[in-house]
Amino acid sequence: MATVSAHAPGLAPDDVLTRSSGRLRWRTGFDTWMGWLLPLLFVVAIFPILDLVYYISSRAVPTLTWAILTNSDPTAIDALGVPIVTTFEIMVVATGLAVLLGVFGGVATAEFLSPGSAEWIRASANMLAGAPSVVVGYFGYIAFVTYFGWGLSYIAGVVTLSIFMTPYVFRTADLAFSSIPRPIREAALGSGARPSQYVVRVGAPIAFPQILTGVFLAMAIGVGETAPLVLTTTHGVIVPQTIYSPVSFLTGLIWSDFSSPANSGLQILAFQAAFLLMVIVVGLNIVVRFISARYRKRLEGLYQ
Amino acid sequence: MTIPSSNPPGGSEGNVLSVRDLTVRSKERTLLDSISLDFPSRTLTAVVGPSGCGKTTFVRSLNRMAELTPGLRVSGSVSYLGQNIYGPEVNPVLVRRRIGMVFQRPTVFPKSIFENAAFGLRLINTEESEIDRAVTDSLQRAGLWEEVKDDLDRPALSLSGGQQQRLCIARALATRPRVILLDEPTSALDPAATQRVESTMQGLKDDHVLILVTHNVGQAARVSDRVAFLHTGHLVELGPTAEILERPKDPRTEQFITGRFG
Repeated sequence: MATVSAHAPGLAPDDVLTRSSGRLRWRTGFDTWMGWLLPLLFVVAIFPILDLVYYISSRAVPTLTWAILTNSDPTAIDALGVPIVTTFEIMVVATGLAVLLGVFGGVATAEFLSPGSAEWIRASANMLAGAPSVVVGYFGYIAFVTYFGWGLSYIAGVVTLSIFMTPYVFRTADLAFSSIPRPIREAALGSGARPSQYVVRVGAPIAFPQILTGVFLAMAIGVGETAPLVLTTTHGVIVPQTIYSPVSFLTGLIWSDFSSPANSGLQILAFQAAFLLMVIVVGLNIVVRFISARYRKRLEGLYQ
Repeated sequence: MTIPSSNPPGGSEGNVLSVRDLTVRSKERTLLDSISLDFPSRTLTAVVGPSGCGKTTFVRSLNRMAELTPGLRVSGSVSYLGQNIYGPEVNPVLVRRRIGMVFQRPTVFPKSIFENAAFGLRLINTEESEIDRAVTDSLQRAGLWEEVKDDLDRPALSLSGGQQQRLCIARALATRPRVILLDEPTSALDPAATQRVESTMQGLKDDHVLILVTHNVGQAARVSDRVAFLHTGHLVELGPTAEILERPKDPRTEQFITGRFG
């Protein structure tokens, strides 16, 4: 015979819905506390970042003017025009090279290589992505600066930086194509598409937003990198005229000028360059969010 | 380029597909064991059997889709108008252009309705006017035209599941393949959408060889001319639908159609 609950006479214990003691109560309390604790930990984690943003902004913004951003006089101290233009040139070309290598490599790995060789390529890309940037920079120095004889130059820096960025693009391209639902791929091949036709006509439109996201994230990582460029270029005062010219770029400027005497003109300039980089990185991340939100809508309802 | 008609050359009523000793093995086991049967034109053959009997593997090996699954090995022959599709000189891409396929769940591409229907035609560089005509024709034959004719530029993903599946049938029809393989095309659809797809299939019988995989005996009874019963990779029985469903010779067939397994 079933025992009868003391709280609600007439009901079997399993049917009582108002039990307010014991393990269930403890667990509910645990969930509530975790719900408070985790956001608190997030605040603790984000505090150093906010502090950094404040530290840089408070020193850079008061003195930052449009004139400083556009001044490209090689003899002036308060001029960021040259490093801004050069950084932009470096990023465009390095991103172009990384996209070329990364996207083609990713598509080939996801679609055309045998599973065995694909795993090898993926492992290599992961290793490259995990390599410290100073190691990549040193590789660039040995390979391009000395062995190829390009010297400390724009081209050596750009190629080294693109090698640093490639695995990020590669991984998103590989993942974007690998994660297309298999029935979609089979539907295209079953309609008589050659594998290359599938890649161009069906795969690429589906994978594009994810790849674009990866490209912008690679740019955000690349634009803030110092080591690959510091080790392969030398300081220039004007926008590079040839591919073998010396270059001046934002991270390099921070690296060399930050150790200047406190509150000197050069240190302030380093803070301003850092502020600018911060704005660029945040801007790139906003672009990424915008792209993924926009395209997610278009792919809603795709075979899951 | 012109699109060939779906009737066999010379209007012959012979077999479009002939399967001989078709055996498919995975690394662990034999999925299909020495299957032999013919598919004449103007017939809808239902391939039925309990889950795991090999019916999906069977249709997938009729247009060389099976080999896209790593580890499957196919032996025996499948002749399409006298040519073995597993012959050394045969290009699987061309096989799949003549033997179309519709899958279990709608697989529309994230493109417009028009571009989905035109997909197969664009692969073979068809002229624009011909594409317009063929898209209209295939949407009509798939029974979708009346619902979408006014907004062919709408994203295909905005259609309902049943409409998407009929769009997939239209996509398969547009290149006028002789054979259309339907792998449980209604398994993800509600009863009303299922009914529309079934009447679409019946309308296609006159022009195509249809091979329908289904686990639903009622569906086989409603739409098919012949039933092939597969069980653990063997072809147990093949015959006219009424005969198989009313007077099955093999006890396994009888058990299946009376609902004792599957």
